[in-house]
Amino acid sequence: MKIKKDKLILSIVIGLSCFVLAVVMSMQFKVVQQTDITSIETMRETELRTELSNWKNKYNELSEEYNQLVEKRKEYQEKSQDDTEASELLKSELENIDMLIGKTDVIGNGIIVTIDNSENADTDIIADDLLLIVNSLKDAGAEAISINEKRIVNMTDIVEIGNNSFIQVNGERILAPYSIKAIGEETYLKSALLGNGGQLDELKKLGFYTDIQQNDKVEIKKYEKDMFTKYIE
Amino acid sequence: MNKKIESIILGIMCLILTYGISVQIKTVNSINSNLSTNAIENDLRDQILKTKEKYDNIFSSMEKEQEMIEKEREKATNNNQELEDYEKQIKEKSKMLGLTEITGPGVIVTLKDSTNANSSLDISSQLVHDFDVLSVVNELKNAGAEAISINDNRIVSTTSILCSGNVIEVNNQKVGTPFEIKAIGLPEQLAALSRPGGYLSKLEQYGIETELEKNNNITIPKYAGALNFKYAQTIK
Repeated sequence: MKIKKDKLILSIVIGLSCFVLAVVMSMQFKVVQQTDITSIETMRETELRTELSNWKNKYNELSEEYNQLVEKRKEYQEKSQDDTEASELLKSELENIDMLIGKTDVIGNGIIVTIDNSENADTDIIADDLLLIVNSLKDAGAEAISINEKRIVNMTDIVEIGNNSFIQVNGERILAPYSIKAIGEETYLKSALLGNGGQLDELKKLGFYTDIQQNDKVEIKKYEKDMFTKYIE
Repeated sequence: MNKKIESIILGIMCLILTYGISVQIKTVNSINSNLSTNAIENDLRDQILKTKEKYDNIFSSMEKEQEMIEKEREKATNNNQELEDYEKQIKEKSKMLGLTEITGPGVIVTLKDSTNANSSLDISSQLVHDFDVLSVVNELKNAGAEAISINDNRIVSTTSILCSGNVIEVNNQKVGTPFEIKAIGLPEQLAALSRPGGYLSKLEQYGIETELEKNNNITIPKYAGALNFKYAQTIK
């Protein structure tokens, strides 16, 4: 009888300690999982400096836009009584939106990139090459981009059709050579594509023809199709 | 005899548990060592938080201004067909630009780094890369998406998706795995991404965990930045 009781106590003690250990372990696992690499708590000094300058830039950009909004609101309050003045105001706002959305021909500082297939390369240029170039240009602050005069707008797709036979932009077929125009700060745009790891230099290494020209009057055509939405509210 | 086996089993169990705990504690410690108490770093963190707060404040006052402008616009366009038409266009195009929060039917795609360490596959290919996210977004656009966000960062016409160190930056905002990509459009069409041989199955072959869920009520937030041109001008 006594031996049985001892055993019972022993197993309870062991069971309890196992339970405690398991709880501690799961707590530890949780802590490890919760460590977020995007959080500033885990960043070191250099990362923190870039993060800070990022946020400062974003703040400055936003406060500039805020001031413009305040101006706009005041203008509306002054002019909303008068139909002709209000009409002017709405028109100019609509013009600005049309420019931002890609529905106007635009001109400005920028670059013109040309790439072409070549006998020296083992393959043809594929849609992903163009997608990466456009992505790099956007990162460098490009305000307007086109490929072979097809304007890149927010919902533009760049895909391969068939078995790598041709490339489609905005649902329209384009053929080599590819001429990519971008408006923005020229040096940023150029350095985004050149140098180690830059898309243009990578293509050059693979044997493709590449060319890049700076131009202070790059003209980019508007998006040709109708823009409409069916599903968003 | 029985007791001996019992104590051996218990001993082994205890050993495994303590080993597990010590490994965990070590991992946590090495992560915590990154939490430097360095005064400069703490000061930087402090400044970042303050700037973020300032950013958030100005963002919410911008929202108020925008609401007021909308009201003024409505007042101005009242009883005037031409002006009402302008107003409608401005509203519709602002949605497309990403300047307003929107809702609608669509899909939610989730991409996650592989959790089961499969040594037969390259470790790097089991992580979600910037190009994977860029490609999924491109495929969604191809499938007719009308609005997209990545971890609630709205995709606008100037958005780039690039890696910076071990995280990805979208609109200059750091995002990490799991990546939740929301898209509004015809759900059946957007769901083509998960068909056999579709883009998601390609990612799965590399060991990336993917998930696609149709949803009839997706909310995508507005773009949290400024949309302005400095270099481009309309040709009149």
